[in-house]
Amino acid sequence: MALSTHTTTTGFLLPSIHSAPPFFTQQPHPSSLSIATEQWIQIILKYSRHRRLFTIRVEDSETTGHDWDEVLRNERINRKVLPSYLSYILAQMVSQKLAAYEPPKQDRSVLIYWRLPEEWAEVLHEWVSSTGHLNTIMTFYEITDPPIESPLSGLPIPLLRQAITILSKTNRAQIIAIADGEGVRFFPSTGKA
Amino acid sequence: MALQRYTKSVDGTIPIQALMYNDEELISTQDGIGIYDGLQKSLDHQSGTVHTTSQRLFYIDATKKASRSFSLPLSHISKTDYYAGLFSSSPKVTLHLSLEDPASEEPSGFGSWECEVCAYRNPPGLSPSAARVCALCGVPRSLPAKSASSSASSEVPQPSIDSSFSTSASTSALPQRFRKPSSISCPACTFLNHPSMQTCEICSTPLPKASGDHTQAKSAPTTRPTTPGLNDNDIESKMLKLSFRKGGDKVFYTALKRSLKGRTWEITPSNAGTNGARSGISGIMQAVETNAQNRDTDMSNALQDLEALMVKAKDMVRLAAELNERLTASSTTTANDPYSSVLSSTPTEPEEATFIRSSLSQLGLQMENTPVTLDMMKDEREWMEQLARELANILQGSEKVSSSSSGGMMKKRGIIALDEVWGGWNRARGVALIPPLTFLQVIPHLPAFTNPTITSRTLNSGLAVLHTPPYSRAAFAARICGLLALAGPKSTTEIAQEEGITIGLTVEMLIIVEEDGDVCRDDGQSVIQEKKGDILVLGEVNWWANLFIGYTWDGQE
Repeated sequence: MALSTHTTTTGFLLPSIHSAPPFFTQQPHPSSLSIATEQWIQIILKYSRHRRLFTIRVEDSETTGHDWDEVLRNERINRKVLPSYLSYILAQMVSQKLAAYEPPKQDRSVLIYWRLPEEWAEVLHEWVSSTGHLNTIMTFYEITDPPIESPLSGLPIPLLRQAITILSKTNRAQIIAIADGEGVRFFPSTGKA
Repeated sequence: MALQRYTKSVDGTIPIQALMYNDEELISTQDGIGIYDGLQKSLDHQSGTVHTTSQRLFYIDATKKASRSFSLPLSHISKTDYYAGLFSSSPKVTLHLSLEDPASEEPSGFGSWECEVCAYRNPPGLSPSAARVCALCGVPRSLPAKSASSSASSEVPQPSIDSSFSTSASTSALPQRFRKPSSISCPACTFLNHPSMQTCEICSTPLPKASGDHTQAKSAPTTRPTTPGLNDNDIESKMLKLSFRKGGDKVFYTALKRSLKGRTWEITPSNAGTNGARSGISGIMQAVETNAQNRDTDMSNALQDLEALMVKAKDMVRLAAELNERLTASSTTTANDPYSSVLSSTPTEPEEATFIRSSLSQLGLQMENTPVTLDMMKDEREWMEQLARELANILQGSEKVSSSSSGGMMKKRGIIALDEVWGGWNRARGVALIPPLTFLQVIPHLPAFTNPTITSRTLNSGLAVLHTPPYSRAAFAARICGLLALAGPKSTTEIAQEEGITIGLTVEMLIIVEEDGDVCRDDGQSVIQEKKGDILVLGEVNWWANLFIGYTWDGQE
């Protein structure tokens, strides 16, 4: 039976395996299961990058009307991912360091690292220096919600914090406590690798 | 009247505990009691204490303990009433009395007695009911025969002079008695009148005051030998009332009712023995014995049924053999073959006979020769082989019987469960059944004698089956993959239909194929929409060829 790819309304191209009903069932056979899970992880990462989504929760497989509808369900073949399977997939993502439980110590919702925190740190520093905010104190809000669209817009605060921590290890950022919350000051990189 | 008739005077100075029998126990006590004899106050008993025990009711007078105290056996009480009291009248409990066979209550010679059987000297402290049996050996006491005694024999040892008196004895010079005599014999007509009567009921002759003797001959037969109780206060003379002048009526009444319910005075000898054995070692042993007995009964019942079944089974096998013979005989005669033998059959055998034979063989009832037993064969190994040969026959039929080579139990199906095979084989043998262990030993020899070869296999759930090559692991998997490749994804029921085996068996086989990685499953639980219009989309497992293996990403980069 020939399976085909499908483009969603938001312009994302779903792979052909997404049109196969067995893809939505957690396979008992270990090797089949690992292959299927791998594909699911790829889909989730790529979709979140495409739509700039940062979190996914197990509840998303139980409800409708949210951003993950297009991926977790396939109306054409009348199949959806069951919560138990999604929970397993998220656990796999966390173990591969492609996601993290956020808030920590629970297993229902994860933060997706479609870009690793290290990568985010680089992007952050890049943007700060290109917009000329070096050596000035910035609030978190300014970074995540700038008046001009930036690659960092909508970044969740925990992820931002992680990026800043990474930068501070190389002395390129520094957290400063200010009146309304927290602020951060960026320094130019010294040229060392 | 009721007081006199039903109660017994006791010495109230003795404390109540000492007055009771050994097996009697005190239940409740209440003071401030007045006694009503019938409906009138009994003047002698107006202030006292009443005690309820398990067998009697004691009234101990407060002022004159010795003379005015009495006891009433609870067995005389037929009914009780309760009156709660109003303004100045105090609460009252009414006891309705009836004289029930008092003769049996008071065995003659109340005191210690020696048992005839075990020579144990029973102490005098036992209650009347317990005094009927020996405390050591439990044998009921045989009461000395009463010779035409009156209805209420006296406890006082009778003077021997009485026995010689005739009914027409004179009224004078009578020996002293402690109590009133029970009936007065009329001097004219010998009718036994009530002791309170002044004139004879029948002939109206004036009666002597306290005449008669205890061992009286029976009076002339009349419709009734004695006067019943006096008519005018019939009801009242059977009634006693207790008036509670200082309260405590409710508690006392409950205690009394409980004690009456207990009915400890009615314990018969047979009960006394087993009652005590409910607990303790003897109780346990009794329970064990009863259990064992029940088990034995059940077992023998069940085995009876089994034996009846075996008899019927033998009949059935015999009938099948006869039918077979007749069929063979009829077919050979129709073929008109002078050299017919039982074993050969001709192609012109009628269809019905073939059909009957094949059904018999499918049921496993067909046996061409007698079943093989150990004593027939000298060598055990040879015996095994012969058994295997026989079993192969059963499973696949014999070429000589029917034209198709696959007859027998496995005619229609290539896979069969072991328990079915075993049952069918034993059914065909009829006698000399094969135990399961031998059966398991025979199975490895099967492939040598079966064509196509039948082998045994155990599935994941522990189900053991016999199957032909098409149902081996690899062959089955290949077949399924081919089917899926050809016809696309199939549901479990569709595959079961296709293969001709039961759904449960199909599922097991498919799971094994899945373990090998040849198929993948699509669970119907993942459906979003369970109903499309009116059509119900079933939540069944569908099977696909494994599309995960070798899949490459072709989505968005």
